[in-house]
Amino acid sequence: MASAIEVRDLCKSFGAFRAVDGISFSVPQGTVFGLLGANGAGKSTTIRMLCGLLAPSSGMARVAGCDIAKDPEGVKRSIGYMSQKFSLYEDLTVIENLRFFAGLYGLAPRRIETEAGEIMSLTGLAGREASLAAELSAGYRQRLALGCALLHSPRVLFLDEPTAGVDPAARRVFWDIIYRLADSGSTVLITTHYLDEAEYCGTVTLMHAGRIVAAGSPGQLKRERFPGRLVEVECDNPEAALAALKADPRIEEAALFGTRLHAAIAPGAGELIVEGILASRGVGLSRAESILPSLEDVFIRVISESEKEDRP
Amino acid sequence: MRDRLAALMRKEYRHILRDPGTLFTLLAVPLFLLVMFGYAISLDVNNIPLAVRDLDRSPESRALVASFLASGHFLPSPSPPDSRAEGRALDTGAAMAVLEIPDGFAAALARRETAPVQVLVDGSDGTRAATVMGYVDGMTMRFSTDLRRLASMRSGSPPASGPAMVLDVRPRVLFNQELKSVSFLVPGLVALILIITSVISTALSVVREKENGSMEQIIVSPVRPIELILGKTLPYAAIGLVAAALVLSASAILFGVTVKGSILALAAMTVLFVLACLALGIFISTLAETQQVAFLISAMLTLIPTFTLSGFVFPIRNMPPAIQAVTYLFPTKYYIEILRALLLKGAGFGTYWHQALALLVYAVVAAAAGAARFARSRRK
Amino acid sequence: MSRIRCMITKEFQQLRRDRRMRPILIIAPVMQILILGYAADTEVRDVPLAIYDQDSSQQSRALAQAFVSSRSFLVADRSSSFGEMEAAITGGHSEIGLVIPPSFGADLESGRGAQIQLLVDGTRSNTATVAMAYATATATSFARRLIASATTIGAAGPAVEARTRVWYNPDLKSRRFMIPGVFALLIMVFTVILTSLAIVKEKEIGTLEQLIVTPLARHELIIGKLAPFVIISLVIITLTLGASWLFFGIVPRGSLGLLYALSLALVLSTLGMGLLVSTISRNQQQAMMFSIFLFMFPMMILSGFVFPIENMPAPIRALTYLMPLRYYLIIIRGIFLKGSDLSVLWPQLLPLLGIGTAVIGISIARFHKQLD
Ligand SMILES: Nc1ncnc2c1ncn2[C@@H]1O[C@H](COP(=O)(O)OP(=O)(O)OP(=O)(O)O)[C@@H](O)[C@H]1O
Ligand SMILES: [Mg+2]
Repeated sequence: MASAIEVRDLCKSFGAFRAVDGISFSVPQGTVFGLLGANGAGKSTTIRMLCGLLAPSSGMARVAGCDIAKDPEGVKRSIGYMSQKFSLYEDLTVIENLRFFAGLYGLAPRRIETEAGEIMSLTGLAGREASLAAELSAGYRQRLALGCALLHSPRVLFLDEPTAGVDPAARRVFWDIIYRLADSGSTVLITTHYLDEAEYCGTVTLMHAGRIVAAGSPGQLKRERFPGRLVEVECDNPEAALAALKADPRIEEAALFGTRLHAAIAPGAGELIVEGILASRGVGLSRAESILPSLEDVFIRVISESEKEDRP
Repeated sequence: MRDRLAALMRKEYRHILRDPGTLFTLLAVPLFLLVMFGYAISLDVNNIPLAVRDLDRSPESRALVASFLASGHFLPSPSPPDSRAEGRALDTGAAMAVLEIPDGFAAALARRETAPVQVLVDGSDGTRAATVMGYVDGMTMRFSTDLRRLASMRSGSPPASGPAMVLDVRPRVLFNQELKSVSFLVPGLVALILIITSVISTALSVVREKENGSMEQIIVSPVRPIELILGKTLPYAAIGLVAAALVLSASAILFGVTVKGSILALAAMTVLFVLACLALGIFISTLAETQQVAFLISAMLTLIPTFTLSGFVFPIRNMPPAIQAVTYLFPTKYYIEILRALLLKGAGFGTYWHQALALLVYAVVAAAAGAARFARSRRK
Repeated sequence: MSRIRCMITKEFQQLRRDRRMRPILIIAPVMQILILGYAADTEVRDVPLAIYDQDSSQQSRALAQAFVSSRSFLVADRSSSFGEMEAAITGGHSEIGLVIPPSFGADLESGRGAQIQLLVDGTRSNTATVAMAYATATATSFARRLIASATTIGAAGPAVEARTRVWYNPDLKSRRFMIPGVFALLIMVFTVILTSLAIVKEKEIGTLEQLIVTPLARHELIIGKLAPFVIISLVIITLTLGASWLFFGIVPRGSLGLLYALSLALVLSTLGMGLLVSTISRNQQQAMMFSIFLFMFPMMILSGFVFPIENMPAPIRALTYLMPLRYYLIIIRGIFLKGSDLSVLWPQLLPLLGIGTAVIGISIARFHKQLD
């Protein structure tokens, strides 16, 4: 199947600082691609290059068959973009914003009305047509922004943290919309800091300091990063337990998750070693249980490994 | 209090320094304007393009033309008008005056009759035209007197006395003896710079915070309104004062426009004016929600009145009483009057205390109005 | 095309929402033409005059009367000492002082020739020069009348007499000249500022980002942004025309259609300048500084609006050819005062169009559909 997005060795420098440092990936048509990474990893910069907003410093990328450096206008005809910062007109009403962007995408007047009506009921904006964008709550603004990006049924959709500030029910709606688009053949590239959402993506790519540090389907990533077992520990002194676990060579990784601890056990070592280590340090253990790793575990592990590499 | 104020001022300075373009413009452009005012601009009525139609072509007619051109007020117009359309040169603006010497000019002179010449003047710019007409009268009169004197010398009769011999007018210029327009314009320029830096920049920087939401962040902090206002305004006032000092020293060095009065008084009055400006800037910022509106309001309340209603270029006494009354509403008028008194006349406080008092009242009223509106908007 | 229409619709929707902007756009031009029309008056008249008559003879009173009845002077003060007169001038109550010495009458009678002194406040140098010339002329014509009545030789009249005819503005009203200038200035100020802000504002708020990712072409974006200002400037032109007719009774002698058409040529270049400013500035504050300092001030000073171009030194005069306002001032004054038509005005129109096209071209070239 053809790639909707094809990125090779893409770089972006701001002065001496490399915000995006030679990334390559490809996104097959009709899939949902998640771009994850810590704050400042370079996700928004990547999206902005792919949308033709920023000129890449080097490297190449094709979006919907158009080279982003040579034919940025071609790219713009087939994409939708929702930026991280709300960037619609606050002094226009909901319906005026929708009509305006529909017009810019060249929708015929009759289609504008039907599309706008459909989008509004889809995103739950119905009944708020006449509200000024400035008067909407943050979550409703996100819905409007998503609506404006969808209006023209783009072949490739870039969503930069679309669900930030959106309530759980509406997030579910957002993802329903995203899946429906993917089913109809559109490609979606999305960034998010909600890792439960990232589980819905066909492929996730993890960025750190401008580079890709991990890529694959969520299941694949979990298997690769946690070949041994993952144990969740509940105890009376998590701080002491963390120190104890980190000091033991048989534990690959230990991290705090709220009041609990997640410990990754090296392949080959038994599940009971956790209890042994804690008992030897005199930490009272209330529960230790083998669990499946989540993307959050993967994320934290990968990021901390890359940080270690950065500062040897 | 001091720490919070310092923090606010530091922040504002960072904004200014981050933006070297604006800083440069604020300091360099006033100097550019000064140099323009000093070297490029004058309201003198000179170099008037004069078209000549000499239909007589006699030595006498040529002498008259030569005496016009020798006066230094006129320049020969590049395109002499063709004989069909006498006013063509005026229509196109190629000439501002046309001197037409009719056929028979020399003959009339020879008969000792009064020989008329015709002068067409483009009256569009009435003020300049009036001066040009004065020149024309003066020159023909002098030409006549010279001719008559020459004639009577030849004939041996006693010379007739011309008006200049009857009445000797001795003018003495009291201030600005060289009649340089730059000395006159410098006070206006200084006022203009201070207006731009203290009123407009202040109003805009406050409204900008409102517009992008950072005002909310500051308001929820324990900063008091007075600190907020001072913190935002003082840095701009400082830049304004630096620019004003720059202009004053440059005009002293380049054009010899030195401060005749007390420097201390000048500094005190300038600070007073800046206070009035800052208060006005804050007041304007409470009226506007967007920078665009803030700018247009401040342009209407400060920039344009500084040019037109302060006596900077146009004399206030020419205005109808209603407009003259309006001029009292803008602080620049007072400051320019004080500056002129101090810079050019070296006058003492006794001559300008009215203006100083007016500035003080202005500052207090504007500050009170601004603070009241600001406090109200904060509670909302 | 429909995309441009879409942009224009949006601009007007926004303008309709901007409740503070609308009244400003309508009231400001009318108020400005009103105030400027009354204020921008450079005539030298009613100069406050102080008279110190040390003679108090019949002749000295006749001379003083000559000044009193002149339109140029207004007797503000009758001083009884030099000190008093100087104080009046220093305090700004009088700008010119006429001192008639004690022997004035006697000197004239005896035919020795009399002397008078003028004390002039040179602060306002341009008016001072003119006032001094007027005072001298008033005194000289007084002397001429004296000779004419006393001698017989003078009765022959002067050898050469200039018969002056004034065209276009026979009563030499300064206002008739200044109002078209103010009119030009207003169009320039409003269009430069409004356009320079229009694009920077979208940059600052972030909406430009969303616009750029749409297929809207660069020229469509620019035309869509500028077109509303063309319409707004037509409204401003109409308002100011109406106001100058209503308040000052000043109407253009030439064709209104031509006036509108040529005004659009100016608007073309001022919109281009606003656009240029918005491509070089990052935020609205900067845009305003740039448009005031880099465009409006030089244009006000170097266009011939108040300061005559003939008086400028050659290198600076060369600079004035770059100012669109220079050409437009000639056009607008021509149409208002002289009733000029295109056959006279085309040499002004061509450079105006040239500059407009060049500025718009440069700013379109500089305006990248990118965020860098
Ligand atoms: N215009 C710019 N000039 C200079 N540096 C920039 C610019 N834009 C982004 N950066 C820098 O590039 C890096 C990547 O920024 P980017 O916005 O892509 O991060 P991100 O992954 O989207 O982060 P977040 O999760 O916080 O949105 C950051 O360090 C940022 O400071
Ligand atoms: Mg981001």
